[in-house]
Amino acid sequence: MHRRVVITAGSAITPIGHLKKEIVYSLENGVSGVKKLRSDNLLSAYIHSDVFGTVDYEVEFDFTRKYRKTMGPVAFYACQVAKEVLEQSGLKQEFITSGRLGVAFGSTHGSPTVQREIYKNFFSGSKTKYASIGAVDYLKSMVHTTAVNITKMFGISGRVISSSTACTTSSQSIGFGYEMVKFGLQDAMLCGGADEYDTTTVAVFDNLLACSTGFNDTPHRTPRPFDADRDGLVVGEGAGAVLLEEYESAKKRGAIILAEIIGFGCNNNGGDLILPNVNGITQTLRIGLQDAGVRPEDVDFISAHATATKMGDVIEAKAIHAIYGEKSPYVTGLKGYMGHTMGSCGVIETLLTLYMMEQGFIAPTLNLENIDDRCAMIRHTTKLIEHPIRIATIQNFAFGGVNTCLIIKKFE
Amino acid sequence: MTREEIINKVLNIFKEEFEIENPGLDDDLREVHEFDSIDAIELLREIEYFLDTELTQDEKKDAMEIRTINDICDYIMSLAKEDCGV
Repeated sequence: MHRRVVITAGSAITPIGHLKKEIVYSLENGVSGVKKLRSDNLLSAYIHSDVFGTVDYEVEFDFTRKYRKTMGPVAFYACQVAKEVLEQSGLKQEFITSGRLGVAFGSTHGSPTVQREIYKNFFSGSKTKYASIGAVDYLKSMVHTTAVNITKMFGISGRVISSSTACTTSSQSIGFGYEMVKFGLQDAMLCGGADEYDTTTVAVFDNLLACSTGFNDTPHRTPRPFDADRDGLVVGEGAGAVLLEEYESAKKRGAIILAEIIGFGCNNNGGDLILPNVNGITQTLRIGLQDAGVRPEDVDFISAHATATKMGDVIEAKAIHAIYGEKSPYVTGLKGYMGHTMGSCGVIETLLTLYMMEQGFIAPTLNLENIDDRCAMIRHTTKLIEHPIRIATIQNFAFGGVNTCLIIKKFE
Repeated sequence: MTREEIINKVLNIFKEEFEIENPGLDDDLREVHEFDSIDAIELLREIEYFLDTELTQDEKKDAMEIRTINDICDYIMSLAKEDCGV
């Protein structure tokens, strides 16, 4: 059984805005959400990169203690976008708790903020502090804290998938959620990802010499996907969620349909855990298009993963060229606006693509001023254009060689 | 410490730490106020701070029978008597 899967709600908390109109404004006006790295009194003094994709506005959380007591910062983000999506969807409470709705949601680490507190107690040498570590600390910090705080808060009793594959966390959430509905295992899936403000991830990439360090005094000028002067990635925070539903049920209940998911490609490079692999990525794109049943020439827009690392962007450009040839669709590296929002990047980039699809424009890659010759063989979006997007792909690739490609189609 | 003082202290803990205001002294905390196992562990920690003591594993297990504010006060009073050797 292959059922059609549609998106009936979406919400995100991003470095370039929370509400759709804020995010669209940022895309239309080249607003960057990259700011100076905040001090954490621990690692920040040792990190060479001094920039971070930051949610620097207030997000109003209205959760009672009953829910807050098992939530670290990442779960606050996750539950907030989940709440907004469920409200937006109009799904009835009876359905939400029926077991027909599942959750596919994850994060890179769980909550590093809570983990640091736990480890401070572990290594304190104080028996009192050691004894203060409790079950609730684990619940707040554990890798699947986002997914299960969502199920707890909303009484969701369907399947839970909590992918934790760093950069492909939320694109896998959407892809696996899509497959759950497509193959009839669930009638709806709340899918997404979140990652909180955290310097651990920055330190990891910084130690690998993968972070941008040359624009510390002008954070808004980095990252620079595909640009000849790019010097590495910028880590960011954020969250996003989409509601996927079986099409006939969605239509029957009069849901507003934002787009249709028509394909998902997912594979692994089967080799190096850090270096991207052109063959692996090319195959991912091929699998995605085959799954969607579309030809390369049918695709209007590619949201590239494009983290602005020296080699990653080149390899991705080569893979895009291998599939799409000389007449590639418009390609935008949306991380130019926000940095790399890690576990939430797949869902955030899907939502931004969806917003552009709805509004009829394609945003340029921010900070792309001089295209690197080695990336020049694809069609880069270098300025804001009015252009319809009927079919779009969202590509993401992660440490460990995990690759994803989502294909979405405008609903007509 | 009198029972009344203990009751007031416990009610203050419930207000400040659990955001439960003026629970009935004989309310079943789980049924009426959704007090769960996570809250129970946190309550034991508050009792340790209050009595400036460390509860043994057996004392913690005894606490699992608690259902009401009055039960909590009985528990604290019995611990206080033990400390006094009574």
